[in-house]
Amino acid sequence: MINKDLNKYSSHFSVYTELRIQENRNNHISMVNGDVMGNSVSSSSGVSSRVYNDGNWGFSSSPDFTDSAVEYVLKNASDNVLFMNKRNKEQCGFILPDISGHHEIDLSTQHVRNDQKQWIDFLRNIDDYIAKKYSFLSSRTVVLSGLDMEKSLLTSAGSTSYSMTPRGIMYISLTMDNNGEPVDLMDVFGGLGQLEDHFLDPSHFYSDIDILVEHLQKKSNGVYADAGLKEVILDADLAGILAHEAIGHTTEADLVLGGSVAGEFMGEQVASELVTLVDYANTMNKQVCPVPVYIDDEGTPSEDTVIIDDGSLKSFMHNKDSARHFNTKPTGNARAYAFSDEPLIRMRNTAIQPGTSTLEEMISSIDDGYYLMKSSNGQADSTSEFMFGVPLGYEIKGGKLGNAIKDTTISGVAFDVLKTIDMISSDMTWSAGGMCGKKQWIPVGMGGPAIKCKVNIGGR
Amino acid sequence: MKAGADKAQCIYSSGEKKELNVDAGEFSLFRTNANHGFSIMAIKDQKKGSFSINKIGKDDIDVAISTVLNMAESSMPDDAYDISEYQEADSFSKGNKEPALNIMYDRMEEFMEYSANTFPITIIEQAILDFSSGTNYYRNSNGVSFDETEGSYSFSVMFTSKEGKDISSFNSAGFSSLDIDLPLHKGGSINRLLEESAAHVRTRTVPNKFTGDIIVTPDCIMSFIGFILGNLSDFRLIAGTSLFRELMNQQIVHESLSIHSKPLSDNLSGGYFITSDGYKAEDLTIIENGILQTFLLSLYGSNKTGLQRVSNSGGSLIIDHGKTPLKDMIQSVNKGVLLSRFSGGSPSDNGDFSGVAKNSFYIENGKVQYPISETMVSGNIVDMFQKVKHLSKEEVNFGDEIFPWIQFEGITVS
Repeated sequence: MINKDLNKYSSHFSVYTELRIQENRNNHISMVNGDVMGNSVSSSSGVSSRVYNDGNWGFSSSPDFTDSAVEYVLKNASDNVLFMNKRNKEQCGFILPDISGHHEIDLSTQHVRNDQKQWIDFLRNIDDYIAKKYSFLSSRTVVLSGLDMEKSLLTSAGSTSYSMTPRGIMYISLTMDNNGEPVDLMDVFGGLGQLEDHFLDPSHFYSDIDILVEHLQKKSNGVYADAGLKEVILDADLAGILAHEAIGHTTEADLVLGGSVAGEFMGEQVASELVTLVDYANTMNKQVCPVPVYIDDEGTPSEDTVIIDDGSLKSFMHNKDSARHFNTKPTGNARAYAFSDEPLIRMRNTAIQPGTSTLEEMISSIDDGYYLMKSSNGQADSTSEFMFGVPLGYEIKGGKLGNAIKDTTISGVAFDVLKTIDMISSDMTWSAGGMCGKKQWIPVGMGGPAIKCKVNIGGR
Repeated sequence: MKAGADKAQCIYSSGEKKELNVDAGEFSLFRTNANHGFSIMAIKDQKKGSFSINKIGKDDIDVAISTVLNMAESSMPDDAYDISEYQEADSFSKGNKEPALNIMYDRMEEFMEYSANTFPITIIEQAILDFSSGTNYYRNSNGVSFDETEGSYSFSVMFTSKEGKDISSFNSAGFSSLDIDLPLHKGGSINRLLEESAAHVRTRTVPNKFTGDIIVTPDCIMSFIGFILGNLSDFRLIAGTSLFRELMNQQIVHESLSIHSKPLSDNLSGGYFITSDGYKAEDLTIIENGILQTFLLSLYGSNKTGLQRVSNSGGSLIIDHGKTPLKDMIQSVNKGVLLSRFSGGSPSDNGDFSGVAKNSFYIENGKVQYPISETMVSGNIVDMFQKVKHLSKEEVNFGDEIFPWIQFEGITVS
C-alpha cells in the first residue's frame, strides 16, 4: 500500500502545487487454443508534482518514493515552471479556482486473493469448456486482465485524497471457419473490482459462452447489411460509445478550446427532448459506476456533469484551468493514468439516461432496420462525425429480428443522430472494459440504455 | 539462476523524457519524467513467468526474482518457451544524451508563429515536442549481453480549422528525428496537412455511390498495411487464423509492392538495435515485388509454429516508392478519393473493411474536386493489395517509417 498521508511535504509548497504518489499494478494472462501465451505481472509506481504559476505548468516525476525523491520532483517541477515563466510571459496573473476536498476510498476485494496458478486454472477451465463443447471452432483466445490504480494526493489548496480503484476483466474471442474464411466474435466480462470480485467460479460463464457461440454461428451465416441511412436500435455498448466518443469528447473543455463543434451549441437544442446525457462522477441510481471518481487528480470534489438536459446542451467538462478560462466551476474531470502523467480533462462514466420503452417495443416499432448489439472500436472527431465498428447485429424485418449481419460500420454526425432518437429503453448496462485514449490511455465507464435512431450503415 | 530458473533474461532500462506542450494555441506545460525499470522472464521446467517493476533496490529485485519463479511454477509447460542463444557482446548508441532545451522552445515558438501566420483559421489543439533518452541493458543466462543507448526528438501536433461556425475534422501529424535542425512544420507531412485542414472547413459528400480508385496518402497507409503485417505475426500464425500461412515465397500482394523493415537504416532516425527476445536486430525485406519473403515471428512464435524466426522486432517500415508522379496518379483517376485519414472499424479476419474517409478529397476526371465528409469507403484489404495501380515517385519520411502514395482500384465509395 502506498503512503496515504503526504501532509509532511506541504511545507515545500510555495505556489499552486499538486503532489501525487501512485502505483498501478497489472496482471495479464492470455491463453490461445489452450496454451499460455502470456503470464505477466507488473507494477509501476512513483511520485509526481505539478506546479502552476502565471498561466504555465511545470511537472516532474520520479519512480522513487523517498523523501529526497519527493523533494526532487517538487523542486524540478518548480524549476520547469520557472523556465516556462521566463520564456512565456503572456499569461501572467492567471489564478486557478481555490477548491479543496477530502476523500478516502479503498475498493480492494474482500475475498481471499488468488495466486497465479488459480488464475491459470480458471482460464484452463473456461478454455476446456469451450474446446470440448464447441470442437468446430478454429481458434479460442481467453484473457484475464487486472488493473489496480492506487493514488494519494495533496494539493496546496488543502485537498487530500486516497483511492484504490481496481478493474478486473476477462475477454473471450472465438473464431470459426466459414468456407475458408475466418469469422470471429468477442465478448468482455467483469468491470469495477479485482479479479476475485468477478471470476471465482468459471461455471458462471458457461451460459455466456453458449450465447456467444450461438451469435457466432448465426454471424457465420450472416448477410451483408444493406448500406444507407437506416432506422436502428443501438444496444447499450453502442449507445455508450456514441455518448462517450461522439458527444462526450466534443464537450471536454480543452477540446472546446481546440475548436470542437460543441463550442457553438451551448444552450441550444442538440438532441431529441428524450435525451439527457450525463458524465457521472461516481454513482448512478445509488449504484457505484465502473470508474468512480470522488476527488479528481487536481483535488476537486467530483460532481456529475449534465452535458445534455432534455435535449439541450448544458455544460462542458472542466479542470481548474478550463474553469478559469470559462469563468465557471471545475467539475472534477481532471484525471491522470500513471504517476508520470499530468491530469487531463477525462470523462468518467458517460451515458444517456434510461427512458421508458422496452427493447421488445422498440424492435416491434421498426419495419426495416437493424438491431446493433456490439461495438469493436470507435472514432469521432471535433465535428461530432463518428464511425463505430459493429461486429454483431441482426436485421429487423416487419418488427421482428431476422438474419445476423456480417461485420459492418455505422457512421453519422452525432448531434444530428441524437435528434432522431424517438425511443429509449428503460434498462441500463455499463460496458465492462471501456478505455479511452487522449495522450494517455485511461479506464472509463460507458454504457446506457438501448436507443432507437437513424444512422448510416456500411454495406458491401 | 541461483534461485532455481532453468533459463532467464532480464532488461534494466533507465531514461528521461523532457516534453514541451502547447494546448489550444498557448504554451501550457513543461514536463520532465525520470524513470527506470527492471523486467525479468524466467523459464523453469519449460514453464514461463514475466515480471516487471520500476524499482531497482536489492530488496525489490529479490522480490521480482522470487515472484517470477512462483509465476513460472504456477504456469503450464510449453516446449516453445526459450531465450536467445549466445551471441558476442555488443553495445550500440544513437543520438544525443541531452536535449537542446532552449532550441526546443524556440522551434515550438517558431512553429506556432508559422501556423498562425500561414494558416490563420487553423487552431493548434495540442502540440507536443519531446526529447527522450535512455539506455537498455539486456542480459540472459546464455551469456547474451547487449547495451543500447538512444536519444531522439519527437513532435506531434493535432489541429482543427474553424471559420465562423464551419469546422473541419481534426487531423494530426508528427515525426521523429535525432536533431531539431529544421523548422517543425517541415517534418513529415505537417505542412501539407495543415494546408489541407484549412480547406476542410466546408465539405460535401460524394455525388453518388460508385466503385473507383483511392489514392492512399503516406499518412494513412498504415491503416491498411497493418492488416497484412498482422497476418504475418505471432498471434494469427499461432492461432491458425493467418490468411498467408501457406504462402511463403508466393505472391500475396501486387508485384509493384516491396516492403522492408529496417531498424538500422540511416534514413530512419527511429529504429532499434536489439530485439525484444534478445537478438541483434537486422534489416530485412518482408515482401519483395509482391512475394512474401519472411513471416514476422518472434522466437516463441517460431518455435510454436515451426516456421523461421524473423531477425528483428518489426516496425521501421519502408515501402519502396514507384515511378509515377503524384499529379499523374491523380490525373489517371476517373472517379475516386484522395484518402488522407481512414476512420474505420477493425477489419474482419477475412480483410473486409469499411470506414469513413476523413480529411479527404473527391477526385473526378483527373482532378481533385473538393474536400469531402460523411463518405464511406469499403472493400477487402487482401483484394485491394492485389489491385495496386501506381506507387508515387514522391515519399514521406516520418523518422520511424518511409511511405509513398499508393493508388488502389475497385474500392466502393458511398
